[in-house]
Amino acid sequence: MSPEVSNQSLLFLIVFVLVPLTLSYYYQLGMSKDIVWSSIRGTIQLFAIGYILTYLFDLNAFIGIPLMVGIMILVASFHAWNKGKELPNAFVVIFLGLLVVEGSVLALWLVFDMVNFKPSEVIPMSGMVIGNSMVAMGLALERMKSEFTENSGRLMAALALGAQPKQASHLIIRKTLNASLLPNVDSLKTIGLVQLPGMMTGLILGGVAPVMAIKYQLVISLSIFSSVSLSAMIVTLAMYRYFYNENQQLIESAEEMRSRTND
Amino acid sequence: MENYLFDFHGVSKDILNDLNFTIKKNEKIILFGPSGAGKSSALFLFNRLRDPDSGKIYYKGEPIQSCEISQLRKNIGLVLQAPNLFPGTVLDNLKYGPSLFDEWEDSRAEELMDLIQLPENYLHRDVDQLSGGEQQRVSLGRTLANKPEVLLLDEPTSALDVRTSEEIEGVLEKLIEVHQLTMVMVTHNLRQAKRLGERGIFMKEGKIVEDGNISRLLMEPESKALQEFLQD
Ligand SMILES: Nc1ncnc2c1ncn2[C@@H]1O[C@H](COP(=O)(O)OP(=O)(O)O)[C@@H](O)[C@H]1O
Ligand SMILES: [Mg+2]
Repeated sequence: MSPEVSNQSLLFLIVFVLVPLTLSYYYQLGMSKDIVWSSIRGTIQLFAIGYILTYLFDLNAFIGIPLMVGIMILVASFHAWNKGKELPNAFVVIFLGLLVVEGSVLALWLVFDMVNFKPSEVIPMSGMVIGNSMVAMGLALERMKSEFTENSGRLMAALALGAQPKQASHLIIRKTLNASLLPNVDSLKTIGLVQLPGMMTGLILGGVAPVMAIKYQLVISLSIFSSVSLSAMIVTLAMYRYFYNENQQLIESAEEMRSRTND
Repeated sequence: MENYLFDFHGVSKDILNDLNFTIKKNEKIILFGPSGAGKSSALFLFNRLRDPDSGKIYYKGEPIQSCEISQLRKNIGLVLQAPNLFPGTVLDNLKYGPSLFDEWEDSRAEELMDLIQLPENYLHRDVDQLSGGEQQRVSLGRTLANKPEVLLLDEPTSALDVRTSEEIEGVLEKLIEVHQLTMVMVTHNLRQAKRLGERGIFMKEGKIVEDGNISRLLMEPESKALQEFLQD
């Protein structure tokens, strides 16, 4: 009993775009172009992905899943990389990190029989894991950069006392991990109370019984939770060393950092 | 040559031009000059927080590049301008350095608090609750906990009011007297320079302009640069 939104009904979605458009016009926010463009772009992207998914779901799982998961990881890597391009090897760390995270989560799903190895199950679930991991990695990179800048005095003090980079960075690593995990801990606390998670909403609209839907939601929420933790940890532990040179000295400028990329 | 602790010849692009000097064991040196002269940069070369682009620095006759870095930094203590304490208690800060080398013993806390002249019941206070002067003492104590042979001080009282900085001077004065430390101190405070220093090195634009007895430098400056500096 899957409900369907008819194409005529879809046309009326224009009304939903008119609201922000009117606001922008009335208050001269100068965002009209952006609003129109992002609405059109979003619509095209979603339709495209709809057709692509239809095609992928019909493919053999051993082709469709690696193909789509690979593309998702690649795109996600570029996206997260933007938050820390000046850090040497950031792309490789992010890419391999996402691969490890997705690989281990997928392995657990399959081993414990939570998800079937079918494109229609693995791809949407993986998308959520990879997307959230991407955000967590980007946040961890940004946070790490700002912590290193803010705490350069303390780090100098620690180094001056004889600390190795790893020892000196301890404080920052802790703070970064903490900051990356907090939003997830918070959202787990209010899950289902404040808003029904998107996936659960989708399943219920699709006709799945609520209790069935929450089982899936639990699987995905906890998978995301552990992937996000793992992602933040991988990025932080792999990247802190690039804030120092080989003589246990703090690197003081972005140029110096970039010039070391070829080490 | 035994008593030359440092033999210093360092050049750092655009910052330090040509620094050539030796430091003997137990010398009390005041490094002074206008801001931007390269005093901090010079200080950071001693414990390798930075490296010169060219030139050589010898510590006890050995190039510092061949000393193990952590050990070198432990022996050459540095106190920065701002306290930069680690979050936690006074005790956490005091034991940080020695713990890195597995050398901390709880019995040392008392002795260190005595050195920096803070009451012992401060040990378990959070460092956020301390005044600026108290924080700077903890910062000094944290460096002393490593039992350094050389003490580098980068304007340790510049952020403090007159009374508090005099108290810190008192702490330093006693420390220098009791423990035979070699000291290199950067300061803008000439009264403090005379009280704590013996030898003065006046720097300007990355170069050493005058080097000699601190009282002589302050009373009878030879160079025009130093004369001008003292007039301001
Ligand atoms: N990390 C750095 N990179 C490049 N230039 C620096 C750096 N640190 C300081 N400088 C420059 O070097 C000069 C000397 O600085 P500094 O050693 O801090 O002087 P001082 O301590 O005598 O005031 C200044 O012109 C400063 O702008
Ligand atoms: Mg300075």
